[in-house]
Amino acid sequence: MKKRPVLLIVIALNLIGLVALVFAYPHLMVSPGPLVKGHAELATDCFACHAPLRGASSSRCVECHAVPDIGLRTTLGVLIAAQTIKGSFHQELIEQDCMACHSDHQGPKLTQRSRKPFSHALLNVPVRERCTSCHEAPVDTMHRSAKAECSQCHVNTAWKPATLEHDRFFVFDRHHRTECDTCHRNGDYSRYTCYGCHEHSQAKVRAEHLEEGIRNFENCVECHRDPRAEPSKEGGGDRERRRRD
Amino acid sequence: MRREVLPFFASLAALALAALAADGLLHAFDLLWIGRWLGIPGTLLIIGSTVYSLRKRKVIRLSQPARLLRWHEALAWAGSLLVLVHAGVHFNAILGWLAVWAMLINVGSGLTGKFLLARAHRRMEAARLSLRERGLGEAELASRLYWDSMTFDMVKQWRVVHLPITLAFTVLAIAHIVAIMLFWGWN
Repeated sequence: MKKRPVLLIVIALNLIGLVALVFAYPHLMVSPGPLVKGHAELATDCFACHAPLRGASSSRCVECHAVPDIGLRTTLGVLIAAQTIKGSFHQELIEQDCMACHSDHQGPKLTQRSRKPFSHALLNVPVRERCTSCHEAPVDTMHRSAKAECSQCHVNTAWKPATLEHDRFFVFDRHHRTECDTCHRNGDYSRYTCYGCHEHSQAKVRAEHLEEGIRNFENCVECHRDPRAEPSKEGGGDRERRRRD
Repeated sequence: MRREVLPFFASLAALALAALAADGLLHAFDLLWIGRWLGIPGTLLIIGSTVYSLRKRKVIRLSQPARLLRWHEALAWAGSLLVLVHAGVHFNAILGWLAVWAMLINVGSGLTGKFLLARAHRRMEAARLSLRERGLGEAELASRLYWDSMTFDMVKQWRVVHLPITLAFTVLAIAHIVAIMLFWGWN
């Protein structure tokens, strides 16, 4: 039993040593994971972001990262030459809650990503609805002259898949690769016309159909959904929504 | 062997398997936040289990030590289970890991004491019965039982080990809790 105080002293000294290590190496002893690259120099300065008993808070973040400057200037005030998408939306969030997206400790490794995925729901409504405030409008044939809202076909979780399957309404064969505006005048995708090109003049179409005894030829795609195939009554189209002019 | 070593390992294995199963379930149902909070009830159960230690050292005088010992075993096991689930299998801060290892060594030590005690009881009783059957007088019986009582001394010796392990666990756990209090955003 005489050895007991010695044993206790040895254990106590070891424990004091361990606790001292907490102060010397807090990034290893108490940090839940390494900091993101940009904050690496703060690794041993926990109280740079954490307030005692209150944790990290957005108010601490914005002391260095002034919201109006995010994406436009560095924290040292240097102009960022290439405009980043950060500058387009950080100033337009419904709430300045940095920790809702950013967790600067990269861990726990097995379960978390350090950055939570961006959500369009965090944007102010006017910016959320104006896609071009962040995204460049596509310039391919289909989109170049599109005047409709992006959200008519696209959802804001991903660009693809777009919800519009044009084949359901009309199949583009090699004779029908044209501007949207040829059929959908003035960017009005709720209507279409087939009289936009010389092949389909109103008089010619009327004469040909009457010759066959067809009097109801107002909604072309009802029978001519696929120009490569013979006309069929199941030709389709949503008659309620897509009326022909 | 079957009565002593197997139950010891069964208790440890049950603790590990129950912790893995609970942790797996929390991961499967994306309920990791529950694990984050299990440290608190786990710690409270472990603190509750020390009522026996206080009674044993006559700091308090309620209830029977034998009964409190059963509670000590059950509460410490359950509390350790919750803390293990809380720790998960995440290799993050060293301090937290040291506290978990100290706790596991403490549980191992506790189970060792439990089975040392059970074995000592059985051996003493068996020896006493067998010597009485041989018609030995009380003096002779006391002498023969001396060596068996050394087994009880082993239990006493073990307690000398169990206490410093508990001390190490306590200090590391408190350090972890203080760190969390300091850095965690509770709102």
